[in-house]
Amino acid sequence: MSAPVVEVQNLIKWYGPRLAVRDVSFSVAEGEVVGLLGPNGSGKSTIFRILTGYLVPTSGSVAVAGKDATTQSLEVGYVPEDAPLYDHMRVTELLQFMAQLKGLFGRSSTHAVGTVAERLELKEVARVPIGKLSRGYRQRVAIGQALLNDPKLLIFDEPTSGLDPSQVIAIRDLIRELAGRRTVLMASHVLPEIEQIASRVMILLDGKLLTSDALALAAERQRLTVQVVGPEHLVHEAMTAVPGVRSVIVKPDSGGRHLQCLVEADHRPGVAQQLAEALVGRGLALCELGTVRPDLERIFLQLTRRSREKTA
Amino acid sequence: MRRFLVLLVKEERALFSSPIAYVLIAVFLLIMGYSFTLALFISHSMTLVHLFFQIFVLFLLTVPIITMRLIAEERKLRTIEVLLTSRATETQIVFAKFVASMSLIVLMLILSGAYAIVLAIYGDPDWGPIFSGYLGLVLLAAALVGVGLLTSSLTSNQIIAALLSLSAFLLLWIIDEYGYLLPDPFDSLVVNMSLSVHFKPFATGSMYLSDVAFYLSATMLSLFLSVRALAWR
Repeated sequence: MSAPVVEVQNLIKWYGPRLAVRDVSFSVAEGEVVGLLGPNGSGKSTIFRILTGYLVPTSGSVAVAGKDATTQSLEVGYVPEDAPLYDHMRVTELLQFMAQLKGLFGRSSTHAVGTVAERLELKEVARVPIGKLSRGYRQRVAIGQALLNDPKLLIFDEPTSGLDPSQVIAIRDLIRELAGRRTVLMASHVLPEIEQIASRVMILLDGKLLTSDALALAAERQRLTVQVVGPEHLVHEAMTAVPGVRSVIVKPDSGGRHLQCLVEADHRPGVAQQLAEALVGRGLALCELGTVRPDLERIFLQLTRRSREKTA
Repeated sequence: MRRFLVLLVKEERALFSSPIAYVLIAVFLLIMGYSFTLALFISHSMTLVHLFFQIFVLFLLTVPIITMRLIAEERKLRTIEVLLTSRATETQIVFAKFVASMSLIVLMLILSGAYAIVLAIYGDPDWGPIFSGYLGLVLLAAALVGVGLLTSSLTSNQIIAALLSLSAFLLLWIIDEYGYLLPDPFDSLVVNMSLSVHFKPFATGSMYLSDVAFYLSATMLSLFLSVRALAWR
């Protein structure tokens, strides 16, 4: 197995009297697309700024591609939140400036700018001052400057913040496409966005890492929806009797004819089949049986509530 | 070095693409032209001493306008984050901004050289005090730009940066006025911090190494502190 691209150990960051990052440890393997989910002010940007070498941690170690991140690593392409760029510069001018700052001069600079402009469809706005671009194009330029030196690790901080729905979809597709052979770390406080892009989700709250794989946690239990006709107590009794079933919620639907049930069960084969057999075996009319995909929202709420209860 | 030059070009473009630089140059030349003409007609003397003292005061008032945005604006717009995560170092950023600002001031001084040329056309001026005066002004400007950069690196608010540097300049201008009243050795310490005390010899044609060292030390110290302020995050 190859060495992780990102290795964070016992990271702590104090801003004066405020503890922004509390003993965070995680690693990211090559090619992974990892989402960092957490409410505003939970420490996502601070962790990213430390990974890029912009901030120095109070304690702990941070390595990117095997190198100490505090000594700045060329292996990172960073797209900060809200795409801070020079408004007076034209798109090509900014990309050339950034390429040169990253150590690309002459032909290699021209080549890198041309490749990025083509890939991100920036050619038509090449001569437009950045201050006059739409938010979507501005974000593309910010992503473009991060790609210039073909870094191993791409870091996106709230990449779709402030964009309209069509721009959100375009940027999301772009990140997915870029992910391919690169390692991607992306922060967001928007849950569905992380869910759609990331292959692994870490949850952060008040500077503390609650889980480094929320999707795995969510997948530990399977959830099924059942629509059935029959007396409520019988339905409940039939389903709870099935081995592996952990909880059953039964509610009549709006028309009052059917019962809508949500079943949470252990991940073992044949649970759905046994549920169907149990219901039909008791003479109940089974109308529908389906599975629900892992519920990140539920995991997020559970973890954050538990953490806040502990703190209180 | 190449990275420094890239940053310098960016700073020069930012400076000369904004109208502030041209307004400053125009105002500077207008005031100097008025002062030079008036003094020449009244005194009929082939000297620029009065002009150098005027430029001294004008620099105290205009340098904060030139330097206030340098780092404060980068902090406010968070472009400093993009620069510092692209392998540009704090030292390269600070020195590029310093050299770019100095280039504007040196340009203003070169343009004011027209008055020296007028003197040369219509008379036979003593070139010694003129050269020493210009050298003094360059050294003074370097120290002022250094302090301006320092105040700009301490805040993300341009107005606060300008007010801080203006206050520092005014204090260092008048600090010798009552410094003589202080007990020994504080009197000489305070008087020697004065910008005008170290400038007078340059303007009148005398050059002392101690005055050169004062301005150079102030410049280097403020640039060093600016780099540290930028690195403190």
